[in-house]
Amino acid sequence: MALRDSTDFWPRAIIHVDMNAFFASVEQRDFPELRGKPIAVTNGEQGATIITCSYEARAFGIHTGMRLKEARTLCPDVIQRPARPKVYAHISTAIMASLCEVSPDIEVFSVDEAFLDVTRCQSLHGTPERMGRMVVDQVQAASSLPCSVGVSGDKCTAKFAANLVKPNGFIVIPPREARARLEHEPVTALSGVAQGIGGYLAAHGAHTCGDVARLPVSVLARRFGNMGRHIWLMCRGEDPDKVSADAAAPKSLGHGKVLPPGACEREVLLTYFLHMSEKVGARLRRHDLAARRFFIGLRAAQGWIGGTFSLAQPGNEARAIYRLCCAMLRQVWQAQPVFQVQVTALAPEPAGQRDLFSETDQKQQAVEHVMDQVNRRYGEFALAPARLLQRSAMPNVIAPSWQPDGHRQSI
Amino acid sequence: MKLILTRDILLRPLQLVSGVVERKQTLPILSNILVAVEKDNMTVTATDLEVELIVTVPLDKPSETGKATLPARKLLDICRALPDGAAVELSVEKERGVLRSGKGRFALATLPAAEFPALEQLQPEAEFTVPQAQLRRQLERTQFAMAQQDVRYYLNGMLIELKPERMITVATDGHRMALCDTQARHPCKQDKQVILPRKGVLELQRVLQEQEGEVTVQITGNHARFVVGAVTLTSKLIDGRFPDYQRVLPRMDDKVIEAAREPLRQALVRTSVLSNEKFRSVHMQFKPGELHLHTHNPEQEEAEEDIAIDYQGEPIEVGFNANYLLDALNAISQEKVRIYLTDSNSSAQIEGVETDGCKYVVMPMRL
Repeated sequence: MALRDSTDFWPRAIIHVDMNAFFASVEQRDFPELRGKPIAVTNGEQGATIITCSYEARAFGIHTGMRLKEARTLCPDVIQRPARPKVYAHISTAIMASLCEVSPDIEVFSVDEAFLDVTRCQSLHGTPERMGRMVVDQVQAASSLPCSVGVSGDKCTAKFAANLVKPNGFIVIPPREARARLEHEPVTALSGVAQGIGGYLAAHGAHTCGDVARLPVSVLARRFGNMGRHIWLMCRGEDPDKVSADAAAPKSLGHGKVLPPGACEREVLLTYFLHMSEKVGARLRRHDLAARRFFIGLRAAQGWIGGTFSLAQPGNEARAIYRLCCAMLRQVWQAQPVFQVQVTALAPEPAGQRDLFSETDQKQQAVEHVMDQVNRRYGEFALAPARLLQRSAMPNVIAPSWQPDGHRQSI
Repeated sequence: MKLILTRDILLRPLQLVSGVVERKQTLPILSNILVAVEKDNMTVTATDLEVELIVTVPLDKPSETGKATLPARKLLDICRALPDGAAVELSVEKERGVLRSGKGRFALATLPAAEFPALEQLQPEAEFTVPQAQLRRQLERTQFAMAQQDVRYYLNGMLIELKPERMITVATDGHRMALCDTQARHPCKQDKQVILPRKGVLELQRVLQEQEGEVTVQITGNHARFVVGAVTLTSKLIDGRFPDYQRVLPRMDDKVIEAAREPLRQALVRTSVLSNEKFRSVHMQFKPGELHLHTHNPEQEEAEEDIAIDYQGEPIEVGFNANYLLDALNAISQEKVRIYLTDSNSSAQIEGVETDGCKYVVMPMRL
């Protein structure tokens, strides 16, 4: 309690931890022969796009999202590694669980990033800086992987601090110094401020966080509403955003897959659509959600074709979703080449309200219930419609927004 | 065309028909109303190609016959803003509709009256009359349960079923259903079902008054017409099959609860404040002599309330959307209500203890 009166007590203390080149670091940890070498992680052996790459590869200018072909021109020795999403999910879960030792107020921001609110732990663990060290130790103990840590009085500044030094960065910005520290930083260095807002601010002569902080808040509020007020506070080192442990309710829930080149046979598309429908249906059911509207899309050369298709009542049966896909193929697809499928449940809601005239097939519901139970125990698609024997061999991808619990816990 | 009348005589028909005119139109003429002056009366017509409303007004001042279509909203706004009892002269001059009142002059654009869409002549298959107040009550007590923009298009309206000596109205959005069964003399020997679209129901309700007088109902294969005094409303019918509403009425022999309506209604209003804003779910535990209401929301706020009920059966717990229960309780005008339950997965039926032909069925939410 003595600490509360000392000048070391921060009114708010937030830690941001960011795993360095997470997937690549895991590969280097598990396969010592890869250490010190430029490696690029792709989606399976066939993946052509780099999901992430090691710092050795980054030195050549290789970055996430780059085509492997292009990376090879920059660095012919780059080593391709297929991603192991289940391993990453497992390690991420272990890291996030270990961070709860520091503070239970943890927001898993993505598969390799988290915020901790340690304000109320100061009298227990000591200064925020000390707790930042604890975070590094916890990550080290749980995974032996490198991470960067930023400690400050708000989420935005903490994330900014963690991004300053990579790998193995450790930066502390006390809240009373935050505004001065951000003063000369470009406003686009803050998380969530991209070219659009940056361009608007630049037109008002505001390039740095200090410039923005000096603008009247009403200028930002008039143009961007609450988001504008939020950015103004971020630039002053006073980001009000709370560390929230609960994931927000899903706005949409979907799965997509890239098709093999030249796939434009109806039968192939049907298999892909059934595959995605089964995934979306199973995931909706797992979280007891249902949706009425679905986006069913195919990506063609000129962009997405397809659109929103509706069920008579909110549902989560794969069969019903698949029927919408078939309708979409009949109505919209004109046999043109396509290279991606997408099935997304829009605005899913708790599947609670029962219907008077429910035409949902009780038998089919029972079948899907059994299928869910079997697949939960023996793995995805251990039991599935026969057509899925021909499904894509492309492995599942772990989404950046993956979380250890809730509806985002999906690969 | 030229007519002279007072502002109030012109305003009433304009107000009645203006509901039919949609604010946004694809056909420009549908934003207009048709004003037709004959010997000693004037008719005002509005249509959206689904619902047509015609009001006839007798004229006592000499007038020149003729027809014109005038912008509905603008004409209504001008009339509304004129002082009470002001004398109005409406005429057509050089394809413009000119309204003069006091020292004001308003020239409105017209469109050719010949282009105004007219409904074909109806060949009624059934024609009968019902008291105006009865039909109005019947609509009021069921209309709230109609679906809005449901993909099951036949739910976006009201079922009117004619059975020997009876007229039954049913509305449902799939989650709850309202049914009202009253006596009616009509010539239909066989059961007849028509679905009146949502807009037709709402406009008809506006036209009907709580007073004496009869409504003449004419039904054809694809239209229904209602003549109420000087007002004629014609609506297309929804071509579809309404679900079998008898099938979803609960068995009613299992768990019977009686409760005072107003205390139950108020408790639901209070507790639902802290229910999930979107799903409005309220958990109800029925125990002998007592009903326990419980709600909570994602912000971890919660409400609980106990009220006395008349129930002697086994305890049962059911979840409902509070709004559906409140809609039903608001439509019932009796002091006591009776609730029939089967189990927590089956529909519940609510009605007044004195039989008045109205029943409300609500599907539960999963607990």
